Amino acid sequence: MSLREAIQYSLMVILYLLLQIFFMRNMVLFNYAFCFVYIAGILILPAEISRMYLLFIGFAIGFTVDIFSNTFGMHAAATVLIAYLRPFLIHYQMESKGADRVDIGIRSQGIGAFLAYILPLIFIHHSMLFLMEINNFGMILHTLLRIAASTLFTMLMIVLLELFSRR
Amino acid sequence: MLQLVDFVARNRFFLVFILLEVFSGWLIVRSNSYWGATYFNTSNYYVAKTLAFSNSAREYTRLGEINSDLANENARLNALVATLSQKNAKDAPAGYVPDSAFNSRFTYTVAKVVDNETNRANNYITIDKGSADGIEPDMGVISATGVVGKVRFCSKNYSIITSILHPQFMVSSKLVRSNEIGTAKWPGKDPNFIDMVDVSRYTKVYKGDSAVTSNVNSVFPPGIMVGKVKSVTVHPDQTFYNIILELATDFRNLSYVYVVKNRQLGEQETLKQRLGDRQ
Repeated sequence: MSLREAIQYSLMVILYLLLQIFFMRNMVLFNYAFCFVYIAGILILPAEISRMYLLFIGFAIGFTVDIFSNTFGMHAAATVLIAYLRPFLIHYQMESKGADRVDIGIRSQGIGAFLAYILPLIFIHHSMLFLMEINNFGMILHTLLRIAASTLFTMLMIVLLELFSRR
Repeated sequence: MLQLVDFVARNRFFLVFILLEVFSGWLIVRSNSYWGATYFNTSNYYVAKTLAFSNSAREYTRLGEINSDLANENARLNALVATLSQKNAKDAPAGYVPDSAFNSRFTYTVAKVVDNETNRANNYITIDKGSADGIEPDMGVISATGVVGKVRFCSKNYSIITSILHPQFMVSSKLVRSNEIGTAKWPGKDPNFIDMVDVSRYTKVYKGDSAVTSNVNSVFPPGIMVGKVKSVTVHPDQTFYNIILELATDFRNLSYVYVVKNRQLGEQETLKQRLGDRQ
């Protein structure tokens, strides 16, 4: 990765974080759909980035969001999990396509492959986050609904931002 | 030894992953048990400053509501002054003379809301007064319209409040018309409604009755509004009502709150402690 790219990607991560902290924190649709758009910062990093860096970046991003939302470590745990799982998913996609490298992004991958890549990760992240927050088991249905609604909302947001960002 | 090094090298990603997860887990667990000052939350000076900045823009759009709340509160306080100047302690027996220290045990500090959550499973509020202004953990917090919560963490200039919209937070409250004491507790779903439990079904509960903080409460002054009874149901095999209250405070528009200090709380708690020691 060239220095220019590195700066570009770090700026992008910071932008997503600011977006999350200043705007998305207060944006909840119908008391169900939350938007955790900051995970796009982890999802859209280039495929060839070192897995070790990825884990630490994931932790740093999650921890920053934790500080701003009084969740102490829940976002960090969920984000580290998807940072760990991400390379497996990319590897799987590369193998099924037979390509030896993959560029992540809605334009280079195509909408189908891009969704197949982000949707499972968003779902895992949100499930982990909401299930950690759950207080009593009677709330499980409510939580599952929240997970589903938030997954859709976050996905929509990431796809929209990806469509309008030019790199 | 070489095998160990080889194992670590081969599984280093997994090991780092586990390490980070355990560390996050430790942060969560510690925050649940350790109630002292921690640094990584919104009572941190810089974090709170940032949030205050983002909040200030939204506040302008709510000035109308803030004004009307304050005006209502003024009216309520004026009415209270009028009644108090006529008679003291109306439900006390004739011979009861309240201790003046007891009467003036509550003091109030006004604080501005810097950050406010209503939609999560555990909601917290951040305010711009901290230990430098005499605020300590476990003090009660009320607003112009009703009960808000309890102080949880303090830094020098900021504090975090456990909102009443937090399932572990309970308020002992009293229904005004039926004169019945119960516990208000948030079930975790809608930020407008709260459950009231432990009210015996053998008394009459009226719809629209007000629930206020009770006298047995040491954190809140008695008579602070909690909510209005919205629905009353009863299961045939239970001895308690299921009461749903509509919260008096609109948490989404919370802008200014009052932190309540009970100057006799320490004394009261010490007495209770001695009771516990003797058993």
